[in-house]
Amino acid sequence: MGSCDPVLLGCLLTVFLPLSAFALIMIFTWRYHKLSMAISLVASTIPLLIAWYFFFTLDVKQPIIYNFNWLVSDQVKVPFGFLLDPTSVLMFVIVATISWLVQIYSIGYMGGDPGFGRYYADLSLFALAMLGLVISSGLLQLYIFWELVGLASYLLIGFWYEKFSASEAGKKAFVVTRFGDIGFFMGLVFLTLYFGSLDIATVNSAALTAKMPPWLITTSALLIFCGIMGKSAQFPIHVWLPDAMEGPTPVSALLHSATMVAAGVFLLTRLFPLFAASATAMSVVLVISTITLLLSSTIGMVATDIKQVWAYSTVSQLGFMAMGLSAAGLAAGTLFPGYYHLTTHAAFKALLFLCSGVFIHHFGTNDFFVMATQGGRKLLIPMATITIAALALAGIFPFAGFFSKEAILGALAHLPNKMWLVLGLFGAFLTAYYAFRVIFVMLFPKEKYDKYHLETDPHAHAPAHSHGHGPGPGFTHDDAHIHPDAKPGHEHDESGHGAGHGHDEPHGVPWVMSFPLLVLAGFTLILGFCQGSLEKYLLGESAPHHIEYGLLVSAVSCAFGGIALAWFDWGRRGAKCVGFISYVPVLENFFIQKWYMDHFWRWFLNTFIYGIFSRAFTYNDRRVVDGGVDAVAFSTVGSGRLLSFIQTAFLQYNLLFMVLVLAGVGIYLLMGR
Amino acid sequence: MNFLSGLFTPQGVASAAFVLVMAITILGALIAVAARNIFHNVLGLALSLMGVAGLFLYLNSPFVALMEILIYVGAICIAICFAIMLSEPLYLPKPPRNRLKMLGAVAGAGLTFVFLCLLIRKTQWTPAVERSTDWSITTLGHYLLTNYALIFEVISLLLLVAMLGSIVIARGGRGSS
Amino acid sequence: MLLFNQLETYLYLAIVLFAIGLYGVLARRSLIALLISVELILNAASINFMAFNRFLAPHPAVGQIITLFIMAVAAAEAAIALSIIVALYRKLKTINIEQATELRG
Repeated sequence: MGSCDPVLLGCLLTVFLPLSAFALIMIFTWRYHKLSMAISLVASTIPLLIAWYFFFTLDVKQPIIYNFNWLVSDQVKVPFGFLLDPTSVLMFVIVATISWLVQIYSIGYMGGDPGFGRYYADLSLFALAMLGLVISSGLLQLYIFWELVGLASYLLIGFWYEKFSASEAGKKAFVVTRFGDIGFFMGLVFLTLYFGSLDIATVNSAALTAKMPPWLITTSALLIFCGIMGKSAQFPIHVWLPDAMEGPTPVSALLHSATMVAAGVFLLTRLFPLFAASATAMSVVLVISTITLLLSSTIGMVATDIKQVWAYSTVSQLGFMAMGLSAAGLAAGTLFPGYYHLTTHAAFKALLFLCSGVFIHHFGTNDFFVMATQGGRKLLIPMATITIAALALAGIFPFAGFFSKEAILGALAHLPNKMWLVLGLFGAFLTAYYAFRVIFVMLFPKEKYDKYHLETDPHAHAPAHSHGHGPGPGFTHDDAHIHPDAKPGHEHDESGHGAGHGHDEPHGVPWVMSFPLLVLAGFTLILGFCQGSLEKYLLGESAPHHIEYGLLVSAVSCAFGGIALAWFDWGRRGAKCVGFISYVPVLENFFIQKWYMDHFWRWFLNTFIYGIFSRAFTYNDRRVVDGGVDAVAFSTVGSGRLLSFIQTAFLQYNLLFMVLVLAGVGIYLLMGR
Repeated sequence: MNFLSGLFTPQGVASAAFVLVMAITILGALIAVAARNIFHNVLGLALSLMGVAGLFLYLNSPFVALMEILIYVGAICIAICFAIMLSEPLYLPKPPRNRLKMLGAVAGAGLTFVFLCLLIRKTQWTPAVERSTDWSITTLGHYLLTNYALIFEVISLLLLVAMLGSIVIARGGRGSS
Repeated sequence: MLLFNQLETYLYLAIVLFAIGLYGVLARRSLIALLISVELILNAASINFMAFNRFLAPHPAVGQIITLFIMAVAAAEAAIALSIIVALYRKLKTINIEQATELRG
């Protein structure tokens, strides 16, 4: 374990480079945009290289663990260190790659923003937190980085803090995820109390089940799952994620689709043996994730903000991953399907967001109907890549999503109750529908969107599609970023990427923005065919694949069914351009109001938090705490006043009493002898 | 007659002188606290200190006895006289004594006296096992400059500081000239 | 046993001196008289040291040196106290401590 160990050195560099970049930019260079960007890029490129180097050359079949005791208290040891095993190295690669690509992309997207330096500092902080989280060896360390990720997320969501909704969304994300993290922390406390170790390798070992009774395992697993629910936006505390789209679009791509929200699922994977040890916990996970999948898919069907659609899609896909993991846990499967979907999802969802970012940047709106009518399809590269990503999301061969969804559905099929499989298929159907709703609207713009979208409301009784609906901190349709010099300048035209030629638009897509798109599109294409090798890498051996054709056919037909329905509703010539769901206005309204979850939480907040706790605490604060402090103060002053009457300024009386008492006590003591 | 004949032996003379010294000490002390005229107090103090010096002679240390006279009688009493002359005029009428206060003082002093008497009575005084008998001033000086040099130096520093301090205070403090 | 060859004689004398001094400290009003009383108390302590030195201590020089120390401290104390008295008289035009009541509560 010498300091010259290259692997350890790599881990240390991974953690400390982004940290020092953050500190350096925040303290010294945030005024100098180019310099800050360069620092941040260097600090993210090196971890990227390290990650890929580890991935390809390091043999982690036997986990490599570096542990340093950070806190030792009797039998409880809290180690700090690095744990490199297939699970963490793969996530390491994902995080490093996506965050590097996003940093590249942000050069174009954020160019000219007054907070450019701060933005890159925050990105570095995020990279530090996420990379540290991925390779940490102990749960407490993981928790610390987990909270750091939350902090980075807060900073980045509220990046345009002068915009009220952005700062509100940042606060909401922070508070809501913290809500879940309380559970996570309590779970850690449970583990510490009854198991005595937070070392991941130890927690995952068989020693756990021998040492803890089943109900305790279930309790701690469920408590930890609370944290996962918060971070991975599972029902019912998913409400923060759609609002988090107030941040810059690259941030949405990086944090709120590809990496940070995946941290929850990553933790589920990380502690898979712990969760698998408790069937009850896994069942709860399964139920919650299924609800999440269906809920967010249905909301995604009616959203008009392109980022909202992808946000709900992210929520639903995270639910899908959790479904896959829990199904595998229940049916003695492996963690591979869920984790594989995490990998592919990271690629295609980041791609979706980055493409949307190009459109948003270009047209200055978040509404994809407006984008469509303004000629969104003329941006060739983004249009092509967004279509690829949507195909992957829908699960169409040969894109990555097809394979990973297949794997998850296979895991679901192993469950004795086939209802889960049916629900999963239904989720896949809805996913295909809402993904291609966006694609078809963009590809085949109709004149009537304007009318439909901007003035007429076909359903008088449903306040659908009007902007600003819903209570609470909903999104606004303002330009996501209003700063004059954010448009890509004409000088980028000449340097436009080679593949982007041939369109008549005066604005090109700068190569720094299209390059990440192409890379991610490449990943989306090839990841599907890496299934076998990835499985081998993760699990050590590749399970023999027997393809269940019935399942395959049903899955693909669901996907195509969704796409076909979307085509019928939105794509074909003369389509009505209303979702099929509009035929059931009650349901549609229900979905548009986001299943009334925001209402519910608002009501919950008003009734319970503000109405009961807050009031009680305020009362307690005013009366008991303040009153207590006042009482102490007044009684001190009062007794001081009283005592000051004794202070007659006649020293000799004071001295007399002193002498009398001293002599009296002395005599008393001596007489006793 | 036995008493009278005993008085004229050397020990008898020494004892008589010792009783005299004790009487002087206590008498001087009484004058020092009880007389109303402040000058009488100082003179009583001087008398008492002379008695104490006599006691020191009986305790085998003529050097300390001489120092007692030199420092206390010669320096401190004179300094007190100066202070008396620098402060309140003596011809001013004195306020009458406060009976209650004096009673309290007697009680406090008496109680302390009882306490200390009891303390002496109840304590077992044991001499050190091995005792040196070298009482010469030479030895004292030797120790004062070797083993106890620190005390010597601390005294010097203390006196210096006291001197400076008293000058500063008596001049009226910082800022006044 | 001769009177001047007994430890107790000196100790009792010392506490008599101490009690007288204490009475003075408690009863007198003039600051100078207080100072005189304090000197008496200090002398009582000196007598004790000398007596212990004479009858109990293993080494005869220690008590004498301590007594010398006490004298020096007394001298310093007297110097400071007298200068305070002079300063106080300049400020209050009195040295009666019952009239120096600026710190009354």
